[in-house]
Amino acid sequence: MHQTIDHTLTPKLQLQLYLLTGFVLVPHVQHLPLVVSFYLFTTLGLRFISLRIPNLQPGRLLLFLLTAAGVALIYNEHQTLMGKDAGVSLLSIMLVLKTLEVRRRRDLYVTIFIAYFVIVTQFLFDNSFLLLIYLLVLLVGHTSLLLEINRVSPSRNFFEPYRQTFWITLQALPIAIILFILFPRLGQPLWHFGHDGSAQTGLSERVKPGTISQLIQSSAVAFRVTFKHEPPPPEQRYWRGLVLWDTDGVSWYTDENNPVPILSSSIMPTGQPVEYEVLLEPHRKTWLYALDLPAVAPSKSKLSSDFLLHLREPVTRPKQYDGLSFTRHLTSPPTEELRQRALRLGDGITERQRQLVSTWRAASASDSDLVERALRHFNEREFVYTLNPPRYLKNPIDQFLFEGREGFCEHYATAFTQLMRLAGIPSRMVVGYQGGEYNDLGDYYTVRQYDAHAWSEVWLEGEGWKRIDPTAAVAPERVRSAIQPSLGSVGEPALFRIDSDSLIGSGLRQLSMLLDNSSLRWRRWVLGFGQEEQYGLMRGLGLGFLPTRQWGLLLVGLIGLVLTLIGVRLVRQGRVKQEQVQVLYQVFCRRMAAIGHPRHAHEGPLDYSVRVCRERPDLANPVRLITKLYIRLRYGEHKTKNNQAAFADQVRRFRPGRTY
Amino acid sequence: MPNWLYRFRRQARTDGRGGVVIRPRSLYILPTRQGILLALVLFLMLAGSINYGSNLAYLVTFLLGGIWLSAILHTWRNLLGLMIHPAQVSPVYAGQEARFSLSVTNPSSLQRYGISLHQKKLLGESADLPAEGSCLLYLPIPTVHRGRLSLPEISLHTVFPFGLFHAWSYARLDISCLVYPRPADAGNPPADSCYTSSEDGDRGVGADDFVGLRTYREGDSPRHIDWKALARERGLMSKQFGGDRTERVDLDWDLLPAVDTEIRLSLLCRFILQAESQSISYALRLPDLTIPPGMGERHKQRCLAALATFGE
Repeated sequence: MHQTIDHTLTPKLQLQLYLLTGFVLVPHVQHLPLVVSFYLFTTLGLRFISLRIPNLQPGRLLLFLLTAAGVALIYNEHQTLMGKDAGVSLLSIMLVLKTLEVRRRRDLYVTIFIAYFVIVTQFLFDNSFLLLIYLLVLLVGHTSLLLEINRVSPSRNFFEPYRQTFWITLQALPIAIILFILFPRLGQPLWHFGHDGSAQTGLSERVKPGTISQLIQSSAVAFRVTFKHEPPPPEQRYWRGLVLWDTDGVSWYTDENNPVPILSSSIMPTGQPVEYEVLLEPHRKTWLYALDLPAVAPSKSKLSSDFLLHLREPVTRPKQYDGLSFTRHLTSPPTEELRQRALRLGDGITERQRQLVSTWRAASASDSDLVERALRHFNEREFVYTLNPPRYLKNPIDQFLFEGREGFCEHYATAFTQLMRLAGIPSRMVVGYQGGEYNDLGDYYTVRQYDAHAWSEVWLEGEGWKRIDPTAAVAPERVRSAIQPSLGSVGEPALFRIDSDSLIGSGLRQLSMLLDNSSLRWRRWVLGFGQEEQYGLMRGLGLGFLPTRQWGLLLVGLIGLVLTLIGVRLVRQGRVKQEQVQVLYQVFCRRMAAIGHPRHAHEGPLDYSVRVCRERPDLANPVRLITKLYIRLRYGEHKTKNNQAAFADQVRRFRPGRTY
Repeated sequence: MPNWLYRFRRQARTDGRGGVVIRPRSLYILPTRQGILLALVLFLMLAGSINYGSNLAYLVTFLLGGIWLSAILHTWRNLLGLMIHPAQVSPVYAGQEARFSLSVTNPSSLQRYGISLHQKKLLGESADLPAEGSCLLYLPIPTVHRGRLSLPEISLHTVFPFGLFHAWSYARLDISCLVYPRPADAGNPPADSCYTSSEDGDRGVGADDFVGLRTYREGDSPRHIDWKALARERGLMSKQFGGDRTERVDLDWDLLPAVDTEIRLSLLCRFILQAESQSISYALRLPDLTIPPGMGERHKQRCLAALATFGE
């Protein structure tokens, strides 16, 4: 035990460090380029081997070469050393390289600090609760290594440093929560590192045949909706995302340089208002989803005249907003410019398309009649609704209409919109989601990527913009009940299908709903916690009057309070508890000291009593009695309640005078 | 710490029995280099969290910040309430290290870890203190001059639990170490008057000539026991040696060449050690003090102590 702190590290400690390092890097494997992951674990492997065979410990030259190789690797993979992906690769490589040269305590600190940083970077990719728990365990593990090396003798029990660190971390948790709640959130990043290549599943600005049917493979949640009153029927649950006005014949998009103006005219609703709350998953896009058609814009968003909700910044964390929509509208006519835009044709118009449209036109009395006729065309001809349509390479719309006749919603919507434009009816593509699964535990609807949908809107005189879903004409069940990728669809074998009526099936459904419900809360209150939630919480706590600038004071005050409480607890914790007997005896000693006979530090109770009796014979009787009882209670075996009461009584009644 | 700041320091308060208790007001605490490094890393993490707007990144950064802050309290508490008492110190020769031993007591019911003793830049021992227990810690202090070396102001340090903060407290303890003069390089005592015959004759307390046997007394060296006599069942007998008749030396200050005082003391020190190793009885005569002839460890220490404190 008597030794100066050893500045080299034991192999056991090093082994723990490298194992923890490995565990920290494991979740990153799915985000890092494969070569980088390979590099990381090879280097870490080398570290483990050289722990056994110290001769294999890389020297300075090899270390330099490895570093150079690592940097070259990153540059080759990412073409930069900045930004999220390259930065994370760089940090990970730094971490494993640092493990190769852990010789002193200093190196251990640096390694652990880099590991902390790598832990934090995981949350730029994945925000699941399980990952948080996993990484918190690793964080405590790393920190406990720091605790272990600052002891003199190694702890006897493997878990002891973990236990101690765990308690300190638990004490730090209130501070973390206060900071989390009160630390001001910025709505936008401090700086941009160019394009972050992380692809998010979700709808994009450009749709062409195939984009949505790819999306349909994913069961990732797009958003969750809670209706404040009665939810609209399933066939009304169209979640509007984007309107695509322009086309080149293959893909549909809205020209960025020609944005649709903000809605200026008032809205003329005809249906019932629907109020709801949406918790949107971060999709890194600048639009919000709303029930067809939104009437008001949530805060910080704008409602354009094609009824879309636009944001200024992309959504990077779960966003909660309130919506108000009307399922039926009367919309005002488009401006002449927009009308022209809704009639503009892309390339690839063929003679047979023109012919088809002109036969419809000839047979119809009105525009709405023509729309009906077109829908009937899709319904009566052998059009097939399938998740795996053939790939139409040359002229997708034409091939789909006249050759393949197998398609997914985007095929129907694009073809229909194009035919309408050919017929001179202003029309536009709308993409978004349709449907949603009800979660009866939380009374909300979960809309997933496989609910992605595309439909059309046509301008009909007297009716305004009218939603036309050509897919519904082919596969009405698509609109009434959600399709799930695992459920049978044409051309795709059902691999794993659980009958939802069976006991196991309903159990699994319940479980998945429970998980989704807790996930909603997690997303709503932790991941989606932002400026608005901060204000809301402050108002809820009755602190709404406090200006934002003074939050800092509140923050510092609260943290100070927590630290004081921890400090008081720490000081109290170690105090050796004195028995009541000792406390009473000290009262007696204080009273003797007050009359000029203090007990000396070296004096035992008996010696003290003898001296006091000599100096003050008049007090001899009570002093002897108190001393006798004290010794009996403290050291003897007669710790009866009677004795204790007598002792307490004697001390209380002992009021010596200064002189006799 | 710069010198002018020394005046403002607080020392741990004495407990009235020669020891000191570390109370909150005498405790200093500052971040270590690692603590500052972690703070910088935390700021980087915060910048990353803000930039990417990740709430979990915020949460973990803040948790580490909380650990950083509560480490202050834990480091502070780790030293709080400890008591230091002087234990013992053995005399040394000038130039050797004086090994002061101090007893550090932990009166609380919680273990204290990584407690180390320093004297300015000199690093003493470290130890983990058990709950309601104490530990002896050695602090080596180099000596230069003979005399009485008081323990300079010491400090008790800790960086536990995470090495992010460094807490310390200064203390001054009333303990000193006797420093004998450095023995001069080998030399012979001045030849002229040193050796005198014993006037008392042979008292049988020498070490050279066998003079007879006597019954064993406690304290007799086992090397002098007559094992053969024991084997013959004649009881424990000690061999008696004589030869002290002629071997006596007077180490006289005045007989030494009149060089510098310290050199004379060094010479005397050397002679005492030589006489002791040769088992010659010796007396010490200093201008203000005379120690009658004698031999053995206690005699030696008495003579050396007289040299150490000469002139005080």
